[in-house]
Amino acid sequence: MRLPKFDYFEPKDINEAVSILQNEPAARILAGGTDLLVNMKHRVECPPVVVNIKRLADLNYIRQDNGDIRIGALTPLKEIYMTAPVKDNLPGLAQAASAVGSYHHQVMGTLGGNICQQNRCKFFNQSQWWRRSRPTCFKAGGEICHVVNKKEICYSTYCGDLAPALLTLNAAIRVAGNGGEREISLKELFTGNGIAPLNLDGAEILTEIVIPRVSTKGFLIYMKFANRASIDFPIVGTAFWASTDQNKYRVAFTAVDRKPLRALNIEACLQDKELNDENITEACDLAAKEAKPVKTSVYSASYKRKMMGLLLRSAAEKTQSRLSRK
Amino acid sequence: MKRAIELNINGDTHELLVAPNHTLLEVLREKLGLMGTKRGCDLGACGACTVLIDGEAYLSCLMLAVDAMGKEIITIEGLAAGGDLHPLQNAFIAQGALQCGFCTPGMILTAEAILNEDEDPTEDEIKKKMAGNLCRCTGYKKIVEAIMAVNEAG
Repeated sequence: MRLPKFDYFEPKDINEAVSILQNEPAARILAGGTDLLVNMKHRVECPPVVVNIKRLADLNYIRQDNGDIRIGALTPLKEIYMTAPVKDNLPGLAQAASAVGSYHHQVMGTLGGNICQQNRCKFFNQSQWWRRSRPTCFKAGGEICHVVNKKEICYSTYCGDLAPALLTLNAAIRVAGNGGEREISLKELFTGNGIAPLNLDGAEILTEIVIPRVSTKGFLIYMKFANRASIDFPIVGTAFWASTDQNKYRVAFTAVDRKPLRALNIEACLQDKELNDENITEACDLAAKEAKPVKTSVYSASYKRKMMGLLLRSAAEKTQSRLSRK
Repeated sequence: MKRAIELNINGDTHELLVAPNHTLLEVLREKLGLMGTKRGCDLGACGACTVLIDGEAYLSCLMLAVDAMGKEIITIEGLAAGGDLHPLQNAFIAQGALQCGFCTPGMILTAEAILNEDEDPTEDEIKKKMAGNLCRCTGYKKIVEAIMAVNEAG
């Protein structure tokens, strides 16, 4: 499968990259390539310009700064689960990084790229030949969303593994653009719009992920159900964070909506309570109502809703057992 | 527009004229005739196109050839130094870890990257990291045994 033709730029610094993106509004950023190049081979994305940012200096690092953990956007996923600051302090984030795709994807893929990956759908992530049997879907440039059979709306699903884990850590991101750098919460990055899932303007580049010190003091677990555990995107994924001493909890889901979701009702239900069987059951009963999944994969919406509760129970019980050992 | 690039492959420098949309896999197979690197799914899901780039396992079907400039690329043709088979190649033969052989270059190069990175991986670690390389013949058991045998021999 050949890639479509494009003009190629390899900026040497962030200012040059931003300037190219400003002049080429339809350009796409290439980092690890494991998402963009597949979509280009499928012809669901055919950018006229590709800007390879892999050679930008100083965006591949993991460091601790006053207790915060700062990770450069170009840090390979493999480094995240093999390098001490994350491996030792945030094993749950390391677990999420090691759950992405296969080993090769973890070597090639970057944290920034994983967060900024395209939304997915069984009608979108297919070859040109497969898609030819029905009208082009709205996300790929047509008019209709085949998932809900409605015009001019897109129900594609966000399927990143790292975003839910980072959401429960209250992570922030730094973004470089024309007006310099800005810092926003990770939650603000996601629009919930399947066509344009990221709240970035065309000339902005994600440069850094910041995990606040207070979040590193808790216990995080990420659990994922995938068709093939060895390589696939999640059918449902959940991240569960618990503070080690104050009975505070944060819960997020992925692959159940157009963006990764914080499960606020579950969090409110658990807040300030000890994790016990009764509380966990009460929280799990709420799981199915936290999102309205649609059938963007081979699994039905009702299956996904049930799986949300099952994964949450499993994550909460593991956390309960872990906290009782401390 | 095509670009003039230099690629360091198996210790040799190749001067090439490639378009930016050419993948490393296409250049290896079609411009250099290095057919040991296999085109399987061509979408990064089967591992058959694995090559070593600076010692790490990369999917050459998802890497632009222009992006591989300045890096040390090893394909299966470059693994046997001086004509002697690499220990992993010998182990695959000894253990019967291949049948049709299509996945074997990718398997061996991924295994080499794993053993480079970790001096003594467990069987479970090997299985987890090899999971992105698909084989439709052997059922994986003998492949894992071959890698473990090399690991144990040091």
